[in-house]
Amino acid sequence: MTAAVLDRPRSRLLDVRTWQAAVSGPLPGTLMFSAAAVLLLAGSIPIVAPGFVHAGLALAVVATAVAWSARRPTAARRSLAVPVAHLTAVGLLYAGTSAPTMLFLLLGPLWVLATHPGRRGVPIAVAGTTAVLAVPSVVATVPATADLAGALLLGPLVVAVGSFAVNENTRRLATQARQIVRLQDEQAALLEQVRSRADELDTASRILTARAQTMTSVIDAVTEQSIIGTDRDGAIRVWNPGAEKMLGLLRPDVVRIRSILDFHLPEELIAAAEDSGSGSGLEALVHVAREQGSDVRDWTYVAADGTHRTVSVAITPRSDDRGVHAGWNFVGTDMTEARATERMKDQFVSLISHELRTPLSSILGYLELVMDDEDQPLTVEQRQYLTTVERNAQRLRLLDFLRGRTTGPAAQEAPLPGGTDHDDPVDVELMDRLQGIYADALPSRLAAIVRHTRAGDAAAVAFAASTLAGTSGQLGHPEVAWICRAIAADARRGVLAHSRVVRLHELAGV
Amino acid sequence: MDPVPHPPGGHPARPGPTGTVRVLVADDEDDIRDLVTLAVRKAGCQVVTATPDGRAALSAARAQRPDLAVLDVSMPGMTGLEVCTALRADPATAGTRILLLSAGASPDEVARGLAAGADAYLAKPFTVAGLVRQVRELAVREPVA
Repeated sequence: MTAAVLDRPRSRLLDVRTWQAAVSGPLPGTLMFSAAAVLLLAGSIPIVAPGFVHAGLALAVVATAVAWSARRPTAARRSLAVPVAHLTAVGLLYAGTSAPTMLFLLLGPLWVLATHPGRRGVPIAVAGTTAVLAVPSVVATVPATADLAGALLLGPLVVAVGSFAVNENTRRLATQARQIVRLQDEQAALLEQVRSRADELDTASRILTARAQTMTSVIDAVTEQSIIGTDRDGAIRVWNPGAEKMLGLLRPDVVRIRSILDFHLPEELIAAAEDSGSGSGLEALVHVAREQGSDVRDWTYVAADGTHRTVSVAITPRSDDRGVHAGWNFVGTDMTEARATERMKDQFVSLISHELRTPLSSILGYLELVMDDEDQPLTVEQRQYLTTVERNAQRLRLLDFLRGRTTGPAAQEAPLPGGTDHDDPVDVELMDRLQGIYADALPSRLAAIVRHTRAGDAAAVAFAASTLAGTSGQLGHPEVAWICRAIAADARRGVLAHSRVVRLHELAGV
Repeated sequence: MDPVPHPPGGHPARPGPTGTVRVLVADDEDDIRDLVTLAVRKAGCQVVTATPDGRAALSAARAQRPDLAVLDVSMPGMTGLEVCTALRADPATAGTRILLLSAGASPDEVARGLAAGADAYLAKPFTVAGLVRQVRELAVREPVA
């Protein structure tokens, strides 16, 4: 509707310039001389000197034709030649007819001169009028009247006063007309701008709508990960089908109704606040993301039925279209089963390792007693056999040692202490063997990460990378450990970073 | 009783009232108990009791007042931790030096052992040399007041 209104054409009849051109142009003279010619041809006005009449009409026609043929009306209007010629024509017609009626023809050129821009037209009008009125005194065909002197006095005076008044009003009107024209032009320009803005707004609205629909469809397509968006206070604004599935609540029951804190364990938030030294509540949840731009870690979600889910949550800040912080995004992957499996595996390995230690103590201890007994030295063959036994027992110890160094949170982070008891040759030997095993196993571990990445198995990538991160960190390969931890963190968020896997190969030198 | 010999390459064990460092060994694994007994003797000390049971170990400790008790943590009857706590709680045995042996090597398990009153904690698998060194160190240490 707005476009229709804006597109409506403006009538030329309402255009000031149209009226201005018509009134101040050649139209009045044309009409009046045409009427005079008709009257003369019809014989309504007697002709006393045909030569003057013919000359007057000819001059009027030529002047009028020049006025009409001017390519630029404003230039013609500014020229005083046409009205002066018309005044001359009037004088000739007056001389040729001696009819005072012809004096009415003065109105045309006088109007043009009075309305001429500037004030030059006024004295010319007065002079021309005087000259025309003085025709009887200089041309014999026109009888002089008794009141000629009065006419010569009053006529120019009236013309002077009238022309001056008309000139002033005309100039004032012209100024107003120019202002109106300027305002009309400005209005047209503004209307054009409004129409342009309306078009841009319409386009932008359609683009935003399309983007919103695309984002909504993408978010709704994610059913295995929870995507929760909140405002700055933690009130939930986005709740995707993955969140519905994970936490058991439908979107209408959550959006603008619940807070993200409703799905977290209060004690977990308190512990996080104490660890980070941040404020409580939402601040404890988003503190790291606020400081570092993002935060990926395990949190416990409390579902609608009260069950607890271990979820790897990636928290990032969200900005509006002006770049102003508008809230938080929480993308969660349910790790409950994976973490439980990891715990069970760790507990199983721990149990086996525990059970290995006592017999290992016995085997290694007695071997040590036998092999170090100076009172009863062994034969070469006996020592060879017992060395084989000891080597294999040490392999079992090595496995136990490796498990202790590569499982559990502390083992994942802490490097081997520099204060390892190097007085104990067994530990040195163990480390050498560990390095050898690590080097031998590295290609197959890398191959597993590549294979799982290509297969899109994020959980397997996360586990393999996390395990290799722990081993690499413990055995003095921090750069490999770092990239493995990054790959594992990405994988927990469902991201399989091929470029990082390539980088891992470069760092590992395999 | 023979004087305590100076072990080669180590500190001499600090004699008890009878002139010998007297050690109680308690472990439910026969092989380990025998191995510990050998290591204690290798350290120049005298094993006064070697028992597979925690409760029996506590009774023996109260009766014989050993200078040092080497206790396995996991034992039937009473655990090594319980024996350790009981020894520390009894003024008559509170001064006994205690070495705990355990298959548990986690920091938490070590902390629990020391919190129960042990003077030292040795995680399995251990070497005989390491055990001998640990026994010698405890043998020369002043009893707990």
